Amino acid sequence: MSKFYQWINERLELDDAIKFAKKKRVPIFYGTVWYYLGGVSLFLFAIQLVTGILLVLYYQPGAETAFESVKFIVSKVEFGWLIREIHSWSANLFILFVFFHMFTVFFAKAYRKPREMTWITGMLLLVLGLAFGFSGYLLPWNELAYFATKVGSDIAGAIPWVGEFMLRVLRAGDEVTGATLTRFYGIHIAILPGIFTVLLVMHLMMVQFQGMSVPPEIEKIPEEKRKTIPFFPDFVLRDFMVWLIVLNIIALLAVFFPWELGQKANPLVSAPAGIRPEWYFMFMFQTLKMIPAHVLFLEGELFGVMLFGVGGLIWFFVPFLDKKSHMGIRSRFWTWFGIFLVVYIIILTIWGYLV
Amino acid sequence: MMRFYVIFLLMLITTLSAEDSCISCHSELDEERDESDKIVAKYLSGIHAQKEVGCADCHGGDPEAFDDEDEAMWDVDNFLADMEKQDQLDMCGKCHSDPQYMRMFSASIKTDQVSQYLTSEHGKSLVKGNQKAAVCSDCHSYHDILPVQDPRSIVYALNVPVTCAQCHADGQYMKDSGLPIDQLSQFKKSVHGVALLEKEDITAPACNDCHGNHGAAPPDVVHVKDICGTCHVNNRDLFQKSHLFSELSKEGFGQCEACHENHAVLKPDDSFLDWSENSVCIKCHLDGGSAKIMADHFYTIIDSLKENLKLAHSIIDSAENKGMIVSELFFDLEEARKVLIHTRTNIHSFSTAYVDTNAAPGFKAAQAAILGAQASLNELGFRRKGLFYFSLIITFLVVVLGIKIRRMKK
Repeated sequence: MSKFYQWINERLELDDAIKFAKKKRVPIFYGTVWYYLGGVSLFLFAIQLVTGILLVLYYQPGAETAFESVKFIVSKVEFGWLIREIHSWSANLFILFVFFHMFTVFFAKAYRKPREMTWITGMLLLVLGLAFGFSGYLLPWNELAYFATKVGSDIAGAIPWVGEFMLRVLRAGDEVTGATLTRFYGIHIAILPGIFTVLLVMHLMMVQFQGMSVPPEIEKIPEEKRKTIPFFPDFVLRDFMVWLIVLNIIALLAVFFPWELGQKANPLVSAPAGIRPEWYFMFMFQTLKMIPAHVLFLEGELFGVMLFGVGGLIWFFVPFLDKKSHMGIRSRFWTWFGIFLVVYIIILTIWGYLV
Repeated sequence: MMRFYVIFLLMLITTLSAEDSCISCHSELDEERDESDKIVAKYLSGIHAQKEVGCADCHGGDPEAFDDEDEAMWDVDNFLADMEKQDQLDMCGKCHSDPQYMRMFSASIKTDQVSQYLTSEHGKSLVKGNQKAAVCSDCHSYHDILPVQDPRSIVYALNVPVTCAQCHADGQYMKDSGLPIDQLSQFKKSVHGVALLEKEDITAPACNDCHGNHGAAPPDVVHVKDICGTCHVNNRDLFQKSHLFSELSKEGFGQCEACHENHAVLKPDDSFLDWSENSVCIKCHLDGGSAKIMADHFYTIIDSLKENLKLAHSIIDSAENKGMIVSELFFDLEEARKVLIHTRTNIHSFSTAYVDTNAAPGFKAAQAAILGAQASLNELGFRRKGLFYFSLIITFLVVVLGIKIRRMKK
């Protein structure tokens, strides 16, 4: 074993990496638990990567084959049901944990100098995560997915100036058809993973090189007085323990709450009642439903899309807008802005499911 | 809408009055009549006005004589007013029996109504001089005659039973005919009547579908199977080949109606075969015997197929509710359900061997569905057991890691 390690070490310089990991310290304070959220998100992404590759072995994109192949995977392929369930559940949990991760980072002001780029890459990863969800939702080609994609892409079509072009690019035509499915499949398994991996590597490298951020009030404590533990092996083992628990939760969800396959999509039938997007788009969907048909001189839908566009940009550039954070001061405005956003998302999501 | 209709009618009357003395004078006369007696309004709402068949085309007279009533009607040789029923046949038949003339209105229009009528009980009775016998206007009304496809027409499928019952349910009118007058009340209770009159399903049979329309006559006892067989083809074919058919024919007994009634055709029920008061067999086979053995056999086959289906359905539902993919099993379920329906038809063969042979695939399909659903539930059990062991391993690893971390802390 030692000979094998030596052989690897001579080529990959593992000793240096371990030395770096051991040297790296993780702060211990009331918010240490937040540090696990990023790690869990990474773990969930890895699960999706593995299960996604396994699904690709059997999945056949195309209006005539997609639904049947998913049905085949879950009913005939040995443990196919498990792979699909884990893929679907880990995808949803991934978005959930990324949201948690993002808000804990926001409230800990971890985006402040010099970590602005870590926030930006994280935000881009969230956008890509949502795109993964949107594109993956259509792939089983069932009724719900078909109409949700139709509604979702319609909203994209409302974006000023580029909406119509985006709609056609997304749908690979004017309507949601088999061509849309093939396009979504390509986006889901090739384009998004490619960009995501590059951004993820950048994000992780920045986290590793800059170390863990602590909230401003902890930062004021002299460094020698702050409690820390080594990243390796102490924190890594803790991380690993959380991952195991998350894995067990996924297995539990997969067995007791399997995802319905439903009916095969049929573009000729009318949309079934209660068409809803995935839960992470629900607050936006509900907002659009509540906006009147016309707001001032704008169409309601356009107004909604612009509202989310502006809101998204503000959120995206918050490290540059929250100037007080660079001085280690918590800005009341930005804290309340974050609280408002969290409450808004929770209320609108619940509302969306109740009506 | 109503206002539009009245304005349209007034405009039409004004236009036609200028050309036709019948319309001109009778419009004035109609003003003093009740709504239901207004001849011109009725005529204008009918098919003849639509096709520009004028009053004089049926009644004769001179529609261009505006100044003198006698010149317009009474002095004209071909003028027909209050006519005998026989005259009505000639009047309608003048056009409706003329293929060349009728082809102007529709290429596929029938022109055999009068000849058919003369073969009907109505027609035969009229020829014998019975002035109560129904003629064209009794069923189609007069002046406001509408095409049969028009829901307002009294011969539209949904309205036929009431139209026939105008005479056939009138005890006083039918007094001398010797016919019963309860056909409509019986029909309303029947499976056909419920479908037609309550569910408004125009594919359900009305009186004319079994008795004919222009050639209306009660079917002969020996031909009842053919009348019912027009729609119930498989039942007819199987029954015709059965031993029961030949025996009933020999004795001159009723066929389909012996079990199913005629006007009051009951909704078929499996209890027909159950040897109890609901059984239709018991009506003739009072002593049971071989008929009871056969009926019991059929009843058992149908009942056990139903039970198998019920069981399969409940296990499939249970597996589906627990999230298992069982959609393929619905094909087996559908196959079994189809066989159950066919078995209900197959009993008209009155052959246990035939029924058994054809029911076998149904039992096989139901069993396949049951086994498939059970396999799904077993698979679910396997998954849950697997989850349990997996959770045990994870818990063990978490505990080991926890101990390790605690030791490292110390």
